[in-house]
Amino acid sequence: MTRFEAVRLIREWAPDDPVVASLGHPAYDLFASGDRDLNFYTWGSMGLTSSIALGLALARPALAVHALDGDGSLLMNLGALATIGNLAPANLAVFVLDNGVYGTTGGQPTPTSRGADLEAAARAMGIARTATARGENGLRQALAAVREAPGPWVVVVKVEESAPTARPPLDCVFIKQRFMAALGQE
Amino acid sequence: MTDPQRDHPPGPSAGSAVPSWAAGVAAGLAAAGCHDVLYVPDNPLSHILEALRRDHPGVRTRLATREEEAMGIAAGLHLGGARPAVLMQSSGLGNTLNAIGSLLVPYQIPLLMVISMRGDAGEWNAAQVPMGRAVVPVLDAFGIEHLAVERGEEAEGTVLALAHLAFGTRTQAACLLPRRLTVPVRGGVA
Ligand SMILES: Cc1ncc(C[n+]2csc(CCOP(=O)(O)OP(=O)(O)O)c2C)c(N)n1
Ligand SMILES: [Mg+2]
Repeated sequence: MTRFEAVRLIREWAPDDPVVASLGHPAYDLFASGDRDLNFYTWGSMGLTSSIALGLALARPALAVHALDGDGSLLMNLGALATIGNLAPANLAVFVLDNGVYGTTGGQPTPTSRGADLEAAARAMGIARTATARGENGLRQALAAVREAPGPWVVVVKVEESAPTARPPLDCVFIKQRFMAALGQE
Repeated sequence: MTDPQRDHPPGPSAGSAVPSWAAGVAAGLAAAGCHDVLYVPDNPLSHILEALRRDHPGVRTRLATREEEAMGIAAGLHLGGARPAVLMQSSGLGNTLNAIGSLLVPYQIPLLMVISMRGDAGEWNAAQVPMGRAVVPVLDAFGIEHLAVERGEEAEGTVLALAHLAFGTRTQAACLLPRRLTVPVRGGVA
């Protein structure tokens, strides 16, 4: 399963939920899988995707909030897992698109390609609901579990790098304002 | 069990009087509608947390593991309609630069920062001085408005005015708490 295939499955599974995507290829693939107001594309702040999604989940407990993180990006902010475990919002699911590389910057291997286990890290930080999904069927099973049991969830999705075919809008303020408007803010 | 959404236990200042500057900062946060406060601890900040706990039960305080992370959480809170504030030590501003420069500023995400200063007059720890000196130049480099509180009675108004600027105009603003305000030197040399 490529990252794009995984992102498309997640998008189809959650057509009406806000999604926060990590910079680079994860955000590009979210855009390619179908642009919409409830997609929040980051263009920087590497590592903060799960934190942004956490903040939104805390502010809006009635929403199901999803993060599309990268393995390299989450590794830059591993403390986020401890905070998610500590605050434990039931309405947050973090999907780590783990391709074992920094795909966006040329494919340099990340520590997950040598055994670093982000699902185990999430568990060790007090997040009770975790999974590692392999293949489309594995991801479908994990998505069904996420809908069934309250979070916070961390789902590590093992994916192959794929060349993105499109890029999100570059106007950061536009991205934010339409996202907030779709959530009924300002 | 402590509630992680309102997690500050009675701190070192519990029982003793909350200093007027800390009561003022807390009152300013509450009056500005900043009901979501993220923090990484620092000694003077514990007085603000205590004042919030004691006097402003409507304000939620939440611990972050790193100040950069706090800014990411604050950004998400704002996307959901909240008016977040981050309390940090001056050293912590150094941990946040890319969050400011590649998230808050380009996306026009408002944030109120309350920065407990180290490295300014009264400091005894050389490891705090260079980052402390860099705080104002760093804020200026990002074009972030900052005001220092010189006396306790100014604190509430300063916080409120900076919050108006931040949330009214979708920008970031910083309230600096100098060491001579938070830890007055009482004679002798450290
Ligand atoms: C703070 C910071 N460091 C480095 C970069 C350069 N950079 C952009 S995307 C990226 C790789 C992200 O890797 P990952 O999160 O695993 O996503 P992937 O591209 O593999 O899907 C890097 C290193 C950056 N933008 N910001
Ligand atoms: Mg990767």
